Amino acid sequence: MQSETTKITILVVVATLIFLLMPVFLIMYIRSYNRHKKNHILEKQHMQQKFEAEMLQARIEVQDNTMQTIATELHDNVGQLLSLTTLTLNSINLENSEKAAIKIENSLSLVRKSIKELRELAKLLHGEQIVENGIGNALQQEINWLEKTGTYVLNVRNSLFDLQTTSPDKDLIILRLLQEIINNIIKHANATAISFDAYYENNKLYLNVEENGVGFNYEATKLNKAGMGLNSISKRIEMINGKLVLNSTPNKGTAILIEIPYP
Amino acid sequence: MNFTSPIVIAELICLIGAFIFLRNDKTVFWKLSIAYLLLALLTEAAGSYMSAKRENNLWLYNAFVFFEIGFIFIGIYHSLKDYLNPKPILFVGLGIVYAIYFGFILKDSIMVFNSVAVTVMSVVFSLYCLYYYYLLLNDDKFIEIKDHPQFWWITGVLFYYFGGTVCNLLSDVFDVRFGKGFTLRYVITITLNLILYSVWTYSYTCRAKQRKLQS
Repeated sequence: MQSETTKITILVVVATLIFLLMPVFLIMYIRSYNRHKKNHILEKQHMQQKFEAEMLQARIEVQDNTMQTIATELHDNVGQLLSLTTLTLNSINLENSEKAAIKIENSLSLVRKSIKELRELAKLLHGEQIVENGIGNALQQEINWLEKTGTYVLNVRNSLFDLQTTSPDKDLIILRLLQEIINNIIKHANATAISFDAYYENNKLYLNVEENGVGFNYEATKLNKAGMGLNSISKRIEMINGKLVLNSTPNKGTAILIEIPYP
Repeated sequence: MNFTSPIVIAELICLIGAFIFLRNDKTVFWKLSIAYLLLALLTEAAGSYMSAKRENNLWLYNAFVFFEIGFIFIGIYHSLKDYLNPKPILFVGLGIVYAIYFGFILKDSIMVFNSVAVTVMSVVFSLYCLYYYYLLLNDDKFIEIKDHPQFWWITGVLFYYFGGTVCNLLSDVFDVRFGKGFTLRYVITITLNLILYSVWTYSYTCRAKQRKLQS
């Protein structure tokens, strides 16, 4: 009888201990899961901060690029036009009224041209508003400025004007990517012809830029961290979950295809 | 006359803790905790006194169970409402437990310990506690469980009712006595009460900290 009682006692004590230990293990599991959840949330916050910092950087770079374009235009274009206007006005001989009238008419034409150029520049000063008119317009504006230099033969196909969806953050990054690509072409490629193809398909935005410049060794340049802003391009594309395909052949040129989930 | 027992002491400490940490709390549930602990203490002290006088105190504990069911349900409601509207699922559980409680009393009178209702409510409370954990884990928001009062309050409930399940189920099977004549059931009950009131007291300190941070 005594042995039976002892057995029951042990059974009850062990069973109660097990029933008490189960919540302990459960709490340990919740604690561990919660810690993972915390790390995940912190990581997400960190990535969000990184994204915001990158956005800020892109915004600053777009503004810098705009300012440089404006400075160049003021110096090389408007400045020249106004100098020419001054020269023309200075050379007017009021005694020869016929010639003076022609010169005044020429000066007026130069001033009108200067005003037109200044209006174009004023549009650029809107900075971020560039992307507010849609990514199609923003990309086209960049291409237009390149076209104005007259250095390149351009072949442009831009199907993004009627894009119904927008993503302001991504638009800014895409614009910055195009600016960076154009800068690289101007600085390093020695190209004579550039083709742009921008289109939207199956919730993805594609930007294809090809040029016939000197080309380069992509793999070697990738390893060189300071190389041509390529790292910056790759990093930004990665940040918006995009893909970069770059094919470059020495002396034949480079083709860049960017694929970005959009919006 | 003996009013004291380890359970009474644990309840008294918890009541003092609750009074210190919760007396300025504006949430009904936390305020109600003080009243509930006072009621639990008075019941336990009166129960000990009646036991010492060899009087039947089961009617007292049966009456207390009525308030215990209500209070624990309010606490679970307070914890679950952060994640969903718990009224429908809680009313089902509450209805079942009270139906069994009153059914047993009508059948066997209030002078017999209502073990069926206690066993059923233990299982029901344990399930709600597990459901709370499930919701907590699935929630997108992160909470620091170390300082989360609801989490620790629910944990106290789970320990007490889940740990006491064996005791409830086998209450009629064993009546083993230890030194000073304590039964095994009583020893287990003391242990569970010590765990419950320790964890609850900790949850009250967490609540005081939380209130301070929110103010």
